[in-house]
Amino acid sequence: MCSGESKTNYQFPGTKVGRLRAVFVAPSATVMAVLFFAPLLIIVAYSLLSRGPYGGVMHPWTPENYRRVFDPLYGQVLWRSIWIAGAATALCLILGFPLALYIARAKRHRTLLLNLVMLPFWTSFLIRIYAWMFLLRDTGLINTALQELHVISQPLPLLFNTGAVILGLVYGYLPFTVLPLYATLEKLDPELLDAAEDLGASPWSALWRVTVPLSRSGIIAGCLLVFIPCVGAYLTPDLMGGGKTVMAGNLVQNQFTTARDWPFGAAASLVLMLLVLAIMQILRRRSEELL
Amino acid sequence: MNRRIFLLSVGGGPLACTLGRERRLNVYNWENYVASSTIPNFEREFQCRVRYATYGSAEEILAKVMSGNSGWDVVFPSNSFVRPMRELALLERLDHQRLTNLDQLEARFRAPKWDPLLEWCVPYMHSATGILYSKSVSRTPLAWADLWTDSYQRRVTMLDDSAEVFGACLKRMGCSINSGDPAELKRARDMAVRQKPLLRAYLSEEVRDQVIAGDVLVAQMWAQVAQVAMDNAANLAFSFPTEGFALYADNCCILRESKHKDLAYEFLNYLLRPQVAAAIAMEMRTATANAGARQLLPEAQRRDIVLYPTAETLARGEWFEALPGRVQRIRDRYWTEIKAA
Amino acid sequence: MYAAAAYLFLYAPLAVLSVFSFNASKVAMWRGFSWEWYRSVFHNEALLEATINSLIIATVATIISTAIGTLAGYALWKKRFPLLTNSLYLSLVTPEIVTGVSLLAFFEWSFRFLHVQLGMHTVILAHISFCLAYVVIVILARLRTFDPALEEAGLDLGANEWQVFWRVTIPILLPGIVAAALLCFTVSFDDYVITSLVAGVNSETLPMRIYAMARKGVSPDVNALSLMITAGLGVFILLAGRLERR
Repeated sequence: MCSGESKTNYQFPGTKVGRLRAVFVAPSATVMAVLFFAPLLIIVAYSLLSRGPYGGVMHPWTPENYRRVFDPLYGQVLWRSIWIAGAATALCLILGFPLALYIARAKRHRTLLLNLVMLPFWTSFLIRIYAWMFLLRDTGLINTALQELHVISQPLPLLFNTGAVILGLVYGYLPFTVLPLYATLEKLDPELLDAAEDLGASPWSALWRVTVPLSRSGIIAGCLLVFIPCVGAYLTPDLMGGGKTVMAGNLVQNQFTTARDWPFGAAASLVLMLLVLAIMQILRRRSEELL
Repeated sequence: MNRRIFLLSVGGGPLACTLGRERRLNVYNWENYVASSTIPNFEREFQCRVRYATYGSAEEILAKVMSGNSGWDVVFPSNSFVRPMRELALLERLDHQRLTNLDQLEARFRAPKWDPLLEWCVPYMHSATGILYSKSVSRTPLAWADLWTDSYQRRVTMLDDSAEVFGACLKRMGCSINSGDPAELKRARDMAVRQKPLLRAYLSEEVRDQVIAGDVLVAQMWAQVAQVAMDNAANLAFSFPTEGFALYADNCCILRESKHKDLAYEFLNYLLRPQVAAAIAMEMRTATANAGARQLLPEAQRRDIVLYPTAETLARGEWFEALPGRVQRIRDRYWTEIKAA
Repeated sequence: MYAAAAYLFLYAPLAVLSVFSFNASKVAMWRGFSWEWYRSVFHNEALLEATINSLIIATVATIISTAIGTLAGYALWKKRFPLLTNSLYLSLVTPEIVTGVSLLAFFEWSFRFLHVQLGMHTVILAHISFCLAYVVIVILARLRTFDPALEEAGLDLGANEWQVFWRVTIPILLPGIVAAALLCFTVSFDDYVITSLVAGVNSETLPMRIYAMARKGVSPDVNALSLMITAGLGVFILLAGRLERR
């Protein structure tokens, strides 16, 4: 949670430590208790009840829903989701890091450049996905342009495959990496890099040895903010993937909508949440200092 | 106005009721189901304010009104949702004395399968599932079986909807679209898995523009959406598959929780007026269940066989029904298998 | 150079939208130039009202969650508070539909005693609950690079705990706070799944409107509106930045 023991134990000299802290934590703790934990308890209860005839839940209590979750079919779905989400996260990082670095190092207009990253996201996600579908389809802009230029004779299959799903996810979550990365990179002292270069480090090794390690908390925060929603994504696989693959998000979504099996949906999502938490826990151990 | 509404909503429901002297009606409908003049005219004639909103999925509305405290007065469930909503005691039993225009309905909607005495709902719009295709294809898809052939260079889509995909497979096998027989469903699943390599995608309304642009040559599609596509591209046509196809209808219902039932009855009766229903059908290109309204439509629209299939075609259609939990569970499991295949 | 490519990637779909918003045809085929959709937006009362609702909800939710999230992030940096941290993470890993359904169930259960209905207030509460985790994460990431010696210096100079927080910590945290607020606003403004479940009679938001329309094909006036909102907010932020510099 804190970066190293020295900070964890850091205390204000001569003041009553904790009074302010308790006051600061209180509103968030209240919000979480009322608006997250109480509803979550309802979901836990749902997961142990039986399916109502038309959605909703009814008695009796049963562990049956959890038994159904552990099924090789759903394991396969989950594995696929983790894989796709992992690929999207990696790509977001590769694309987002240089961008965040560029913005953080820009001499002027830093806030403007940052806002420009967020700006497209004030257009509805659905509308932007439709625009991507238009760009990528057989008669879309990219294929038409390439055909006009005689680069290709047959349209490339750009849409409705795993690649398109990953592209959609990267597009949808890129700012979620750029923002936390920017927040840490902006704070880095440029003199550190100058010092590294003075000591003979090439710009690349200075980047790799100094900038990256020092922005680790931003990198991890960015990864989490992308990976987690990607695992639960359902619209992107449906539209960009043409509904030919199913991800964990689709599975859960279906239980609450078309299948109208709320208890199973609740059980499946609780298991999914625990799994993602476990993955995060491993990441936290690895990095030793994550949040 | 919005600030006022915001304050009222923050202040809570009861406050809003005491302050709002004006008569109000809250209507929750599908998109594109009223003409631009429908609501303003009603407000003017009945001296009230209508809060009209639209939703994207039937499940969304069911989840919301299930509490019996949603605030809506009039909703428009599909035929297969009417029985569930009735059994959950969400619907108001209709007083036919107050629906004087009820006799304007087409004969087949005066005693529909899902509510033979029209005790709970008034049929509003109807449509069917068929095949939208480009006339340029070498083999005209007249049957579901055609969608399992290799004649369309993988430029075929099915709807991203388990009921519709199972419906097509089951019809192809000669079974009911509402089948709950595990053996039949298993065969239907295998059939869908066999079809998957021939498909470009499972897409719902989103495919419309791609059919118009020529990316997709053949698509399983709802007649109403297909009609809009055909209005925009002359080279498109629609067929009702020979093996049979799914029919559906959306219905007006008054919620039991409604606090504005008098006005809700007036609204239902207003929508049943032939002139009102005809204006909606004309502007939105939907198929009205109102026979009186159909008489008022221009000749070409009245005889449109995509929106209003002939009796002979309709004989092959089958209505979707609410499925029991056991069947839903099998279907969902198989649907996941199809998607994961 | 690289940054230019990245911005191109981000803006490519918007370019497509802007072309379509000037298209004379209702479907995605070019049929000539027209201002029609920009005009029709202003006659589409439902669309405008949904936009205003969305702006109100996103603004209120952003202000509240950024404020309390910043405080919590600061406190968490000082001292572990595992229960809160873990619940924030848990809220982040909850699939949207589950958050939506659980909040709906919770609101309905509590409203049985309170005699209120779903509405704008429930949407705002729901948005605060899911925005909070984003704020805390961004703030904590920013604090990770913050040197506590600065605070100690403040205290040595005789300021009290609160003064140090307000005069020293907050100004240094500001870029993080801005980033967090931006993220909140964006997430809140675009949320559909949770909003649609907890919205009531008078709280239809823009995403709800758009998803409902999507069923019958999105009309180009939505493209026009989206672009106007994006451009409008862009100009607003530009001006805010100018003022701040003064």
